Amino acid sequence: MRLLIILTAFIIYLPHYAFAEIVVIVNPRSNITALTHHQIIDIYMGRNPGLTNDQKLQPYDQAIDSLIRSDFYYGITGKPASAINAYWARLLFTGRASPPKSVANDSAILEIVEKNPLAIGYLDKRYLNDHVTVVYSIKRQGRENTEH
Amino acid sequence: MFRLLSIFLVFLLIVLSPGQHVQAFDLGTERLRVSGFGTLGLTWGGNKNYGIQKEYIHDFQYGNVSVLTDSVFGLQLDFNIAKRLDATIQAVAEDRIRQDFNNIVDWAYLSYRPTSNSVIRAGRMGIDLFMLSEYRNVGYAYLWTHPVIEFYKPISLSHYEGFDFRYSRRIKPGYFEFKAFGGQTGSDINVGSGEFNLRMRPFVGFNTSLEDNDWKIRLTYSTTDTAFIKAPADPLVNALNQVPQALWPQAAELHDRLKGVNTQTHYFSAGFSYDKHNWVVQSEFSLIASRWVSVDMTNGYLSFGRRIGPVTLYTVGSYARSSSRPRVDQNQILSADLQELALATQNLLNAVHIDQNTVSVGLRWDFHPRTALKIQWDHTWTRKHGGGLLDLKKPLDHDITLNMFSANLNFVF
Repeated sequence: MRLLIILTAFIIYLPHYAFAEIVVIVNPRSNITALTHHQIIDIYMGRNPGLTNDQKLQPYDQAIDSLIRSDFYYGITGKPASAINAYWARLLFTGRASPPKSVANDSAILEIVEKNPLAIGYLDKRYLNDHVTVVYSIKRQGRENTEH
Repeated sequence: MFRLLSIFLVFLLIVLSPGQHVQAFDLGTERLRVSGFGTLGLTWGGNKNYGIQKEYIHDFQYGNVSVLTDSVFGLQLDFNIAKRLDATIQAVAEDRIRQDFNNIVDWAYLSYRPTSNSVIRAGRMGIDLFMLSEYRNVGYAYLWTHPVIEFYKPISLSHYEGFDFRYSRRIKPGYFEFKAFGGQTGSDINVGSGEFNLRMRPFVGFNTSLEDNDWKIRLTYSTTDTAFIKAPADPLVNALNQVPQALWPQAAELHDRLKGVNTQTHYFSAGFSYDKHNWVVQSEFSLIASRWVSVDMTNGYLSFGRRIGPVTLYTVGSYARSSSRPRVDQNQILSADLQELALATQNLLNAVHIDQNTVSVGLRWDFHPRTALKIQWDHTWTRKHGGGLLDLKKPLDHDITLNMFSANLNFVF
């Protein structure tokens, strides 16, 4: 009986995690419809992504100890969160760049991107709505990336 | 010391407290950012005859335990003045031979971004000679408990006053950056026998790097002229300058190699780092070319690390070796009265000569998103008359080995 409960819970939970995606979103008024893997890395690693018209996006991060942040950075760089944190300490304390501003959760990201035409953020695909544009996505389980 | 420890504890509590993971100091304005870093360290090293030192600004250690050698606390303010104009100030509190406002303010500069690919800065900025030079105080930002002694100790410079220009953009193989800089620099350091004041101008150079997600290569060239030196060995070096050519023909050449002042020094370096599949590799080599024998050397290191969950195990091998070794030629001393000066000169030449290797092993544990614990053991081999990086309480007339153990708690906020 116990085995049956565990198996049922596993089957219910599996689709939510195994096929979960993180999507990178922008405001539709930015006129950006897709970004490359390199551009996502550059935006979130303090570099100039070389967008058309020299557009300067403002990246937003999830909470520093959140699982989605770890999965996002692992998905784009292949590195653990600790390596990303040390990398940002290098950039900040050499005066090169300041890290993306952190917000509490997916809904906070969604709210900021909906309001700010220059904002870019990432969130779990399940929280997506029609008021933002998906420009990149990352599979959480398979660690495989797909460009839109 | 207790004041420094109190500051550490207060900020460590802030960093580790729940709910402080977002922005440690959100001042409610997008324009001002306050951030900081710190290290609380315990170090044991050296022995009663041979003192070991990680950086020239610290005291030497003669087999004693120190909490000040590795401990440092820094505060940085970044203020956005206008759309393309920013100001940055960084103050660093650490054990140093001279505690004054001039040394505590490590950075104070304005930066202007004329395009999205370029930045011009002016003011006091961090020296950017090697990969860690600009953030050597930020222990959280690198793997080891301290920057590699053989590579980073010989450059005792922390900041310079002047300007720099940086251009960066993505090109096909990776992200490219070029930086040119110019100005003046200097430092007040501890060379064991006393305080050593150094001023260098002009200080000019460039570095260029290419990096992608997993790797980075970097090349640097810089040159500077030593404008002023005040050192414990000045009386001896000046005495060499007074010796008549007829009595000791070699004295003028030895004075030239030891004086340092009005001497051009060239720095060449190449660095490489790799970080993929939980392997972390970093290596740098440099050639410092100068008539000033104390800095005329080659040095380098190779570091391997392996991440296992939140822990990274690592090992580092490093070396530093003087490129030339002038010696007193007894056949050229034509007056018995000069024997004492000749002996003192040879002792000084022996004391500044560098021939040293170190192997280190250690681990870094990232137990918190903004805090890491590190421990490291350094085992150093110094060859006879090769202790230029040590403080010698007695002449180094045989090969020696020295150990250093360090444990650090590093944090950023």
